[in-house]
Amino acid sequence: MKDHFKERSTRDYRQKRLFSKEELERRESLCVHEDPPFCNASCPLKLDVREMLKEASEGSFAKARSCLEHISPFPEILAYGCDAPCRKVCRRTELEEAVNIPAVERAVMRYSEAPKGKGLLKFKKKQKIAVFGTELFTLALAAEMAVKKYPVTLFTEAEDSVDLLKRCTDLPEEIMLRQIPVLEKTGIEIRFRETADRTFLEKEGKNYDIVCGASVLKKEAVDPVTLCDSAMHIFPSDQKEYGHVLQSFFDARRAAVSIERIVQKLDPHSTRPPEGKTESRLFTNLNYIPAEEAVIENGIYTEEECIREASRCIQCECAECMRGCAYLRAFRRYPRILTREIYNNTGIIMGDHMMNKALNACALCGQCTVTCPNGYDMADICRLARENMVETQKMSLAVHEFALLDMLFSNQEGFLSRPQPGFETCRYVYFPGCQAGGIAPKTVYKTYTDLINRLDGGVALMLGCCGVIAKWAGRKELYEEQTALLKQKMKELGDPVIIAGCPTCKVSLQEHFPDVTGLWDILKEISLPEGFRKYSGTVIVHDACGARSDPGTQDTIREIAEELGCTLQESTWSREKTGCCGYGGLVSYVNRDVASMMAEDCVKEDRDAVYLTYCMACRDRLTRQGVQAVHLTELVYNEKAEDTPGLSAKRRNRLLLKQSLLKDIWKEETMEKKLPFVMELSDEVRAKMEDRMILESDLIQTISAYRENGMAVYNESDDTLTASCRIGNVSFWIRFREKDDRYTVLSAYSHRMTVRIR
Amino acid sequence: MAAEKTYYSLEADQHLICHKCSVRLIKGRAVFEYLDNAFPVELPVCPVCGFIYVPEELAMGRVLSVEKVLEDK
Repeated sequence: MKDHFKERSTRDYRQKRLFSKEELERRESLCVHEDPPFCNASCPLKLDVREMLKEASEGSFAKARSCLEHISPFPEILAYGCDAPCRKVCRRTELEEAVNIPAVERAVMRYSEAPKGKGLLKFKKKQKIAVFGTELFTLALAAEMAVKKYPVTLFTEAEDSVDLLKRCTDLPEEIMLRQIPVLEKTGIEIRFRETADRTFLEKEGKNYDIVCGASVLKKEAVDPVTLCDSAMHIFPSDQKEYGHVLQSFFDARRAAVSIERIVQKLDPHSTRPPEGKTESRLFTNLNYIPAEEAVIENGIYTEEECIREASRCIQCECAECMRGCAYLRAFRRYPRILTREIYNNTGIIMGDHMMNKALNACALCGQCTVTCPNGYDMADICRLARENMVETQKMSLAVHEFALLDMLFSNQEGFLSRPQPGFETCRYVYFPGCQAGGIAPKTVYKTYTDLINRLDGGVALMLGCCGVIAKWAGRKELYEEQTALLKQKMKELGDPVIIAGCPTCKVSLQEHFPDVTGLWDILKEISLPEGFRKYSGTVIVHDACGARSDPGTQDTIREIAEELGCTLQESTWSREKTGCCGYGGLVSYVNRDVASMMAEDCVKEDRDAVYLTYCMACRDRLTRQGVQAVHLTELVYNEKAEDTPGLSAKRRNRLLLKQSLLKDIWKEETMEKKLPFVMELSDEVRAKMEDRMILESDLIQTISAYRENGMAVYNESDDTLTASCRIGNVSFWIRFREKDDRYTVLSAYSHRMTVRIR
Repeated sequence: MAAEKTYYSLEADQHLICHKCSVRLIKGRAVFEYLDNAFPVELPVCPVCGFIYVPEELAMGRVLSVEKVLEDK
C-alpha cells in the first residue's frame, strides 16, 4: 500500500494544468458580478451611473460631478437634454419608479463647482483639426478634441459664444450662460461669423489634418461606425438611435475615436473600444429591496432632495453567493476572480502558493451553485484544485494530515463491521458515520439496538468513515483505498441496504453503492420507537449541506420533527440554500476562523432559537457557536449527545462505542490496555492541546517513550522535565512533573521539522 | 570555505540538565530540516547523548512560522 503520509519535497517541480483555457473562461463567464449595471450598459457614453448616484447619495457632489465630466466636456447640456435610456432600464421600475437620473445630474451640476486647475498634464498634439458648422455635434466634437489637446478650430456662423450656444443647444438662458466659461476653458479657437458652407469647408479644410463638419455639409452617407466619408472627412451619423442631444454627444465620441486612429495613420475601424449600448447579464435580487417613492423634481432638486433621490438607487450588483457564503466573504473575492487566482495558484511551479489558504477554506458545500443565478460551482473548482495540488506534490501534508489520520483511526482502530448476531449476511447495515460515534456514542448504541429489534432480515453494523475526508482533502488514491475497504466489508455482509446516519455519508456512499437510504427514511417507515423525547418547543431545522440536493430527506426530517412535537420555523437559509456548519471540506481543521464564520452564519438569524440538525457535525459545530442545537436522533432515542467533545474525546468515544457494542451485542470482550502510569491534564493544558491539535494518545506515547529511554531535559529552576517523541511527521514535546508513576503535564507542543546534530 | 550560516542561535540556559546523562546542556550545532530544506541552528544539546532541546517558544514561534512558509512553497 502506498505511503500517503510521506512528506513531499519543495524541490519537486511538477505542474499540471487545472483545466484548459477555454474551460477556465467558460467557468469564469458564469459569474456576472462584474457585468455593468443596466443603466451603465444602456448608456452609449458609458456613464458610470451607479457610481455617480452613490457619490450623490453620500452628498459628494464634486465626485459625482467628476463622473459626469468624465464622459462629456458639457455634462450640464447632457443633464438637461439627454433622453436618458438609463432610466428605462432602471431595475427600480419593477418596484415603483425608476430613479430620476437626469434630475440628479442637474442637481449635482448645480451644487458642485467646476474643478479648478488644469487637470492632468497632457502633451499638446500637432495635428490640426478643423470643425465646420454650428450644431451640437460640432460643438461637442470640437470640445472633445480640444480636451485631448489637439489644436482645434471651430468655424461657425454664430456671432459670439452666447449665440453659438443658443444655436447649438436648447437650454434655459441661465443654464446656457453657465456653459460659456466651460466653452472658454476647452481652448477651442472659435472663428465666428464664418459662412462655413461646403465650398468654404473644402477650401479651408486643406490647411488642416482633419476636417469635420455639421450634417448640412455632408455630401454623402458616412460609415456607420467611423462616421468618415470617402474623403475621410467626419460628419454626424445618418442613423439616429437616441434623442438629438445624446445622439450628438455619442457621434462626437465616435468621431473622436476615428480622429485619433486617423492621426496615427491607422484604419479608423481598427482597435475601437466597444461603442454604444451593451447587454448586461447582471442579476439584481429585488427581494430585499423595499419600495421607495420617487422624489418629485420641482424646478430643480434641493441638495437634500438630490441625496434622497440618489439614495433610491439599488446599487445593482450580483452578490448572491456572498450573501450566503462566509468563505467568499472572508476572502473578499467573487467566484470569477477567485477561480482565476486558484487557477494561477495551481500553475506555480516554484515560489509561494498564495491561494493555498483560500482553496483549502471552501467547505465544498455547494451553496454557491444554488444561490448563483448561473449555478457557479466554486466547490468543484476548489476540490479539483486540491486534487491537482496533491497530484503535483504541491499540497502540504500538514494541511489535512490530522483529519486524514482521524479518518484512518475510524477505519482501523475504531472500525467495526459485524452482521447482526444469528445472521451471516444481512438485509441492512447501519452506518452511523464517524461524527455520530465521536459525539453521540450512546445515541448510536440505542439506534442500533432499536434497528435490530424492529427490522427484519438482519441489520449489520459498520462503524467507520465513508471516506469523504480523503475526498475533501483531494487525496484521490486514499479515497479509493477507503472505498475499496468499504466495498469489501459490504460484500462480506452480503451487500446489504445501507442505512446512513449522516447525510454526507449517504451522498458519499451512493457514489459506490446502489442501495443507500437515510436513517430518517427508515424511522419514517417503521415509525418512531417508544419512549422518544416529546419536544413541544419551536425549532429551526438546520439542513445539512450533504442533503442540499435531497428534498426527500429535507421533507422527511420535518415530518419526523413534527411527529416529535416540534413546531417548525424556517430560516432564510434552509433546504437547498443551507449553509455549511464549517465541518465540510475540512475547514474546521484547516481554517478555524472561517469555519467559525460559517457556523455563525447558520445561527445568526436567531441566536435564541433551538436548532434541529440531522448531521452530528452540524450539531457539534452549532453548539460550539453557543446556541442550542439538538440532533434528531437525540430526540428520537431520548439520549443526549456530548456537548462539544474535544478531538481526543471523539476518538475515545468511538472506541468506547465499539467496545460496548462488541461486549453487549456480540458478547466479545476487548482487552483494554491499562496504562502503567497516570497522566494528569488540567483544563488549561487540554485547551492548549485542542488548539494545537495534539491528542492525549500523542502524550501517552511521549511519556511511554520517556519511561523507556529516560531522555528528557530537567530544568532546575522550575523542577520540570521536558521530553519529546517523534510520531509520524510530528515531534511532540511535553513539559511535566513526575512523581512515581504520576505525570502532571504542564504544557504540550509540537513541530513538524526534524532536528538533528550537525 | 566560508563558515556555514547559522539561522538561529539559542544559549543553553544554565538550569537545563540532561535527565539521562546528568550533565548540563551546552550550546551545540544542530540543523532543522523540513521538506528538503535545511536550517543550521545552535540549540541547547546534551554533550554526552546529543539530546537536542527545542523550547516551546521556539517551536510555536519561529519554527512554526518557517514551517508555514515552506508548506506554501
